[in-house]
This record gives sequence, C-alpha cells and structure tokens, in this order.
Amino acid sequence: MAKILIVDDEEGIRMLYSMELQDEGYEVVTRPDGKNLLTVVDEEKPDCIILDIKMREYSGLDLLQELRRKYYNLPVILNSAYSSFKVDLKAVAADYYVVKSSDLRELKEKLKIALETRIPCP
Amino acid sequence: MNLIEDNPQGITKADIVVGIPSFNEAPLISFPTQQADKGLSKYFSDRTGVIINCDNHSPDGTREAFMQTASETPKMYLSTEDGVRGKGNNLLNLFKKAVELKAKAVVVVDADLKSITPMWIRSLAEPLFDEYQFVSPLYVRHKYDGTITNNIAYPLTRALYGRRVRQPIGGDYGISGELLETYLTSQVWDENVANFGIDIWMTTLAVRSGAPVIQSFMGRPKIHKPKDPASELQGLFHNVVGTLFELMCRFDAFWKDVKWSRPTAVFGFGLADLELPPVVNVDIKKFWQSFLSGVSGRWDLYTRVLTSQNLNKLEEVAGLPEEGFEFPTGLWAKVLYDFAVAYRDRIADGTELIDALIPLYQGKTLSFVLETQAMNTQQVEEFVEDQCLQFEKSKQYLLERWFAG
Repeated sequence: MAKILIVDDEEGIRMLYSMELQDEGYEVVTRPDGKNLLTVVDEEKPDCIILDIKMREYSGLDLLQELRRKYYNLPVILNSAYSSFKVDLKAVAADYYVVKSSDLRELKEKLKIALETRIPCP
Repeated sequence: MNLIEDNPQGITKADIVVGIPSFNEAPLISFPTQQADKGLSKYFSDRTGVIINCDNHSPDGTREAFMQTASETPKMYLSTEDGVRGKGNNLLNLFKKAVELKAKAVVVVDADLKSITPMWIRSLAEPLFDEYQFVSPLYVRHKYDGTITNNIAYPLTRALYGRRVRQPIGGDYGISGELLETYLTSQVWDENVANFGIDIWMTTLAVRSGAPVIQSFMGRPKIHKPKDPASELQGLFHNVVGTLFELMCRFDAFWKDVKWSRPTAVFGFGLADLELPPVVNVDIKKFWQSFLSGVSGRWDLYTRVLTSQNLNKLEEVAGLPEEGFEFPTGLWAKVLYDFAVAYRDRIADGTELIDALIPLYQGKTLSFVLETQAMNTQQVEEFVEDQCLQFEKSKQYLLERWFAG
C-alpha cells in the first residue's frame, strides 16, 4: 500500500484528501505545515507528497527545493488554490501541479501516474 | 585528429573550465568571454579557472578576437585542424583538455550569445559543486523559437529516458568532471554527434547514466545571432534526429523499462524571466508549401515506414485545407516512433529517411504555430507539456513495434 504525505495548512483539505485517498486504498499521513519536513520524510518514508504552496509560514516551492536536494526521486505533487504559481520556474521541480478543486479526479490521476513512474538504475 | 593549442599562460590545472565552441564568431566571441571572466571572478574567486575557446580553425579571426579579449581569467585556444568542422569535435577537444586539467566543473556557452550575464556562469557551475553532474539551462524562449526542441527533442527524450529536461539541445551546460569520463568513454560517436548532434548526445548520456541532473534558471532569455531557419534546418535536423535515433538503438534496453517521466531539481531564483524573448516570425505559407510539396513525392517511402493506420491518418492530414490545418500530436508521436523503427531496421538509407521526415516535421510545426497563435508564453508551455504527455502515453505503441516478435 502506497503511503501519501499531505502537507497543507487547511484542515478541511487534509480531512477531505485523507478520506478520499484512504478510500482509494492509500495510507495517508498529514502535516499542517512544512516544519521539519525533511525529518518527517525521513521518518515516514512516504511514496509521494502532496504539497500545498501557500501556507502561512512556509512556501511549498521553497520546501520543494529542499526536498529535491535530499530526495531527488521522491514524487511531489504541488497542490494550490492558485494556478499563478505555475509561472514560477521552481515549480518545474514538481512531478505535477494540480489546482485545488472539490473534484479530486485530476489529483488522483496524477497521483497514480506519479506512483507508477519508473526510471531504471543504469 | 590533430589538435592545435595555444596556452600562453601555461595552464596545467583548473577547477572550472568555461568552454566556448565556435566557428567564425570573431565579431561576437568577445562578449561571452568577458561575461565568463566576470562570472568566474565574481562567484568563483576561490577556485582556479580557465576560459577555453574550442574552435574549428576559423578563418575569420575568431582566435585573435578571443585571445585579445581582456580578462583576469587565463585563456586558452584549442582548435581542430584545418578543414575539420563540427561543434561536437570542438567539445570533444574541450572535454579531453578539461580532464587533463583535472577540472571539477565544465561550463559550455555558445560563442554568439548576446544575453549571457556573469550569473549564467554561476547558475551553470555552482550545482556541480553540490552533487549534481549535469546542469541544463532554463530560459524562456519565444514560442516559435526552438521548434525542433518543442516538437521532437524534448517530448521524445522525455518519453524515452524519463527525465524532463526542457532544453535538451539548448547549447549551454554545466558538466561535472565525473560525467566527462562518461562522455569520453562513450561508444556512440558518429558524424551527427561530431556536429550539432552533440547537444542531444550530451543530455541523453547524462540522463542515461543516472547522473543527478538539475536545470538552472538563467534569468534572461537566450538571445543569440539570428539564423536563417531554412538554411539551418537540413544540417541541424539531420544531426539532432540522426543522433536521437542512433541513441534509441543503443539504449533500448534502458528506455524499454522507463514509464512516464520525472522532473529534475531546479537551481534558481524567483519568478520567470521578466524580459521577453525576441519575436521569431514564421512564414506560414512557406511551411504549408514545404509540407505539401515535401510529402507529395514520398508516399512510396511512407508506405514502407508507417503502419497502415498511421499512413491513412497522414493521408487525411495531408488532405486538410490550410485554414484549420492540424497535425494531431498523437499521430505525430506515432509517426516519429515508426521512423525510429524504420531507422533501426534500415528500411532505407538513414539520410533518406530523415529527409523524408522533414516535411512531416514542417507540417507538425505549422500545426503547432496555428494552434498556439493566440497563446501567451505560459499557455504555450502548458501546450508543450500536454504534447509530452501524449508522447508518454503513446510509448506503449513504440514498445510494441520496437520489440515485436
């Protein structure tokens, strides 16, 4: 069972995503912000992270840069209420960028692809 | 291949090498040389550096223009012997020299760059001192600049090898000393690689090797000497596509196991370029005519290369009127995959095959232009991303054809 880490400062989003993704058979852990995110990833060892961009004290885009330094191949889906952050080139380091919606089909589809993605070690 | 070398300061060791490949760039080479010098002095003053012009024995005074450019950083001139051309040959000389100098980082920038700043040197070199081995540039280009990149090199490389390197033939790179060894021991080297195929060769080998790749935000659009797309197309297209197909043949055991694609890390600062890239005008009529006249005499070859289903769809596309013309990306991906299989199977001479692909590429480019006419840069980026996803989705088709029987 794949483990998904949801990092979002909105409690409603964390609850909604947790329920929906658990229904899909995923194991879900959540965090309300990016505090000690690298340690959280070390401990939880998620298979994919769904990362909010605009959090009160943290920028998901900056957290993504930190994550990429240590976890070059860990799938990360940026998830924001705003589409405007797509123009920030830092967003290129994400596997996918999904704009928040009550319809989670796109998020689930991208999550499935992110978990299926395979690049062999030479 | 004999090497001509001018090393007036007797440099025998350097941490960072900035290489500037050239042929007949006397009027322009001083500017990137000055910027490289400033970049090395400003950001890497604690390291030893050298700027190397790797040239094709240019008769226009490139060597003199380069060597006479004032700089704090030592300079060196390398050249192929008279009559030997090719960007790939220049870079091969550079790589060998960089290994000899025990360089930890090599930065390559084009000799005709007009928008390079000292920051480019930092952006391309700094990640190499932080575990990354290959640095590729991220800059905004006009939507009609880089049509080989947008319609072939980026989507195909991404679908095959699984890494999203947005400018796989961008021309400006950072390369670690370790990756140089991979390049110099590569078994793949031919006339296409020795020329403009070198860029896709470098990117592909880097990704294929599993080396950590990062893309660096350059902060300014790439502005360089304008080139005539019509005269440039033949050589560049043959070199890039020929190299792509050759590498596909060599590395099929690797890419057969790649599914979807992953991003790279990004090195950079802030939002996308505020400066707009120069406008590239496209002659729609000319593309339309080239497409129609190009395909008209080649149906026999297309019959041998394409599956009957793709051939039928191509006939449909060729019958569309100019107004509302569209070359669907799903079909384009399958056409490219069919051509790759035909190249592997030597259905026809490689040059003839790639020649026959050119009008189809012109048709696809025309379709790209028509579909993106009203789009801004960001919208076009999303359009290109969608094209890439279609290449990735169609990869199963390639696998079935390539490994059939």
